[in-house]
Amino acid sequence: MGWDFNELRQKVQEEAKGIQDIQGLEAFRIKYLGRKGLIQGIYASLATLPKEEKPAVGKRANDLRSLITREMEERKKAVESSLQSKKRKGDIDVSLPGVGQEFGRSHILTQVIDEICGTFENLGFIVHESPEIETEFYNFTALNIPIDHPSRDAFDTFYLEQKDCQNPDRNVLLRSHTSPGQIRIMETAKPPLAVVVPGKVYRPDAVDASHSFMFHQIEGLLVDKDVKFSHLKGLLSEFCRRFFSEDIKMRFRPHFFPFTEPSAEVDISCYICGGKGCSVCGRKGWLEILGCGMVHPKVFEAVNYPKGKYTGLAFGMGVERVAMLKYGIHDIRIFYENDIRFLKQF
Amino acid sequence: MKISLNWLKDYIKFNIPVEKLAHRLTMAGMEIEKIHSVDEDVVLELEITPNRSDCLNVIGIAREVSAVLNKTLIIPKVRKRRLPSAKADVAILDREGCLRYIGALIKNVSVGKAPDSMAKRLSAIGLRPINNIVDITNFCLMETGQPMHAFDYDKLIGGKIVVRRARQGEKIVTIDGVERVLDTSILVIADTKRPVAVAGVMGGQDTEVTEKTKNILLESACFDPVLVRRGARKLGLSTDSSYRFERGVNIQMVEGAAHRAIALIREFSQGETTHWTDLFLTKRKISKSEISIKIQQVNDLLGSQLTYSRCKTILKRLEFYVKGENRDTLHVQAPDFRGDIEREVDVIEEIGRVIGYDNLPMSLPQITVTHLNPRNNRQLKKEMRDILNAQGFNEIITYTLINSQSLEKTKQAALKRIRVKNPLTQDQEIMRPDLLPSFLDIALSNINRGQKNMRLYELGKKYLPEGEKEFLAMIVTGLKASDWRNFSKGKMDFFDIKGPASVLMERLRVKKASFEDAAESPIYEPGRAAVIKAGQTVLGDAGQIKKEILKKWDIKFEDIYFLQLSLTELAKERQLTAGFEPISEYPAITRDVSLAVKEDVSFAQIEKTAFQLGAKFLKEINFMEVYRGEKIPQGYKGLSFSLRYQSSRRTLTEEEIGEVHATICQSYIDQTRAIIR
Repeated sequence: MGWDFNELRQKVQEEAKGIQDIQGLEAFRIKYLGRKGLIQGIYASLATLPKEEKPAVGKRANDLRSLITREMEERKKAVESSLQSKKRKGDIDVSLPGVGQEFGRSHILTQVIDEICGTFENLGFIVHESPEIETEFYNFTALNIPIDHPSRDAFDTFYLEQKDCQNPDRNVLLRSHTSPGQIRIMETAKPPLAVVVPGKVYRPDAVDASHSFMFHQIEGLLVDKDVKFSHLKGLLSEFCRRFFSEDIKMRFRPHFFPFTEPSAEVDISCYICGGKGCSVCGRKGWLEILGCGMVHPKVFEAVNYPKGKYTGLAFGMGVERVAMLKYGIHDIRIFYENDIRFLKQF
Repeated sequence: MKISLNWLKDYIKFNIPVEKLAHRLTMAGMEIEKIHSVDEDVVLELEITPNRSDCLNVIGIAREVSAVLNKTLIIPKVRKRRLPSAKADVAILDREGCLRYIGALIKNVSVGKAPDSMAKRLSAIGLRPINNIVDITNFCLMETGQPMHAFDYDKLIGGKIVVRRARQGEKIVTIDGVERVLDTSILVIADTKRPVAVAGVMGGQDTEVTEKTKNILLESACFDPVLVRRGARKLGLSTDSSYRFERGVNIQMVEGAAHRAIALIREFSQGETTHWTDLFLTKRKISKSEISIKIQQVNDLLGSQLTYSRCKTILKRLEFYVKGENRDTLHVQAPDFRGDIEREVDVIEEIGRVIGYDNLPMSLPQITVTHLNPRNNRQLKKEMRDILNAQGFNEIITYTLINSQSLEKTKQAALKRIRVKNPLTQDQEIMRPDLLPSFLDIALSNINRGQKNMRLYELGKKYLPEGEKEFLAMIVTGLKASDWRNFSKGKMDFFDIKGPASVLMERLRVKKASFEDAAESPIYEPGRAAVIKAGQTVLGDAGQIKKEILKKWDIKFEDIYFLQLSLTELAKERQLTAGFEPISEYPAITRDVSLAVKEDVSFAQIEKTAFQLGAKFLKEINFMEVYRGEKIPQGYKGLSFSLRYQSSRRTLTEEEIGEVHATICQSYIDQTRAIIR
């Protein structure tokens, strides 16, 4: 039996060209390389050939097999790539929504508290918490708020029916500011102190768009041997730049708090009108954002610090107010409604 | 407080534009809130801080302007006339309520219009001109800050003034025409029969000065700030007079202001003072003590470099008495109208604010590390929020004051509660002893707004008789988060709240956390309640809220699952550092188990047995399924799970695992009468 290898090679090449798909490719492989295929046939019949013809035919058969393999590989590539390009169109609609775990949010007030506290932590402060149920001593007396001061009235402070167990004459109340935190810290620790105290405070205000009987404040206290008023300005300016923006305009306006002297309020330029005056800032061009001052010597006396040894600065700000200014929220009640559509915005 | 610019210029001369003046005053602590034009005048609205009652008048503001602009203050001179020796009939019965009372009987006044210039100044600041007598008292009030009142003397029954507390139920019609019922907490001015004024607040209609008035009794007094404040608040009245008494009037000024009024009455209504009484119940002259401050002290506190003469000039403009010429130290005495100046820092503030804080230097402090162990759960709370947020839970913050009714509604009436003495509404009656009412409130309001699928949490406090305790509370209700690829929008159930809590506890490395069947609970459905423990410590509880509770809250169609954990306990049960265990290089063998067990056998029991018996090799149990159906006998449930065996030292053989596995399975049969399937 003789084979026309040239013709075979031509036939293989032509057939290979005609292969369109995986099935065609498989049929081609079986036909030529299968157990009962052409190449196996040639090898099987080698035995019947005369000895001197064997090497030549064997070699040509091997060549043919390489050709088939090569052709198959090429065709395979071509078939696969045409398959891919077909798949590429319309297999999945990539515009359908992805599926993933929905992410929840911390409450916006938590986020603002964290951001403010974080800013002060970066400046070297630590965060401390202080109780909400307080005595008159911590909330007023130790802070140099006189006994007949209006803020002690039942109109301005929530009192509780329970009494201070150590001192039954003393009223127990819900702290009306975070400043008692200053006293609690100074009673338990010695300067140097750099602490911020975030938390809830309470005042019997009728609820409306700008009043809430419960809200949040952050108190700050820095006490050391040589704290100056210029430090108060520097520190709070740095805070405002980091928290609001690098080019924020600020001013320190003298004010009055019984527990600081000198006292000031800090205004920032109105974010709506940029200082020209609008309805948000009450045509002033400025927004009041925090109260501050140098710790009053009487406060140091109340915590038994040695006279004249330390000076300190303190500041306090309303979290809701800052959040309302920063995000343009006009009604304080929305923070406590906890409407999911509100929660998910931040 | 409103003041007129023209009026201000009667006491101080300056040429700067009003906007600039307003800015300078604001930056010295007299905040100008508004500026508006009225006819040919300009009116400034000021916010005066409560410590500066001396600035609640035009002269006080002029004094501030004088310091800020460094200009001379011009105070009108009042020529003191010789006082009549005859006494007006005045008695102070309440010696705490009234420290000084001057009564001057002025006869033959002619009541008419006040001079134009006076009327204009008053109307500019919103005071309607009435008649010359009333206008003069108002003018003096605004000029000096001393409230004054004129009674029609002939209408005072018995011609006498008595300062006393009102009797319970006594009535007065005040000049605004309103009848007011008084009580013993209110200080009044009375004649021999009835109250004729609410002391320091408002006069009575019966004795007011009219066109027909011939003789007046002029009152210039000093009443107790607290009594006036409480009286005014009780009657819901706030007047120019009460505002000033509440903040304290200068007892030394009472007489000077009376002379000023008498002089004006003489000039504009021809009245002649015939009787004069000055009852002064405290020491007549309280001289203020001297304060000495080193200039160095001023500069140390302000961080400034001010000179002695700069400081002295400022203080003198504010009418402080500055003694001596020692250029290192200021020896000062504050004027008697400055009750707020007590010590060095007060004087330093005066210097600083007049210069303007914005003009003082700024520097950054060197902050030394604070040696204070912050006793709080802040870091824990931060981690918890991260873990819960990542699992799709949104944080809420709710009111901690609640209505005590809401505890009845959650069947928690037995909880001890802390009551608020002075709530504004019933909704603020108590400090919440539990978080459930707050959560049902928020769930309801969201459901009512059409948002029925919720996964919420709060890190909030319970207020218990033993103190404030921090808790995590979680709630789930509604449908599971949707995955459009497998269209099954099942309702969330117990495992949708247990799962995230388990992940939370695992991430926080709570040791030996478990959920156990809870005994009867007031809030959870029976058989659907769990106690959450770490070893033997109870951390909290979880379960499905009773339908009858939801009904009381008007939640009709939803199932609600609730869970709470004590942060205090959680913090104690944490393993703070993760433990490292080498990863085994040897292959694991997994065996699946299908059992039918009695309904009351818990998976926890199954797990416990497996770990006890397979301790050496058993690494993990993976729960697969619980099912009930035809193939499972009545009263039984089918459980499928897989056990994974692995050694960290060698490859386990099929034989040894077969043996362990068989022991475990056999014990299920022996101990729980399980049927192996």
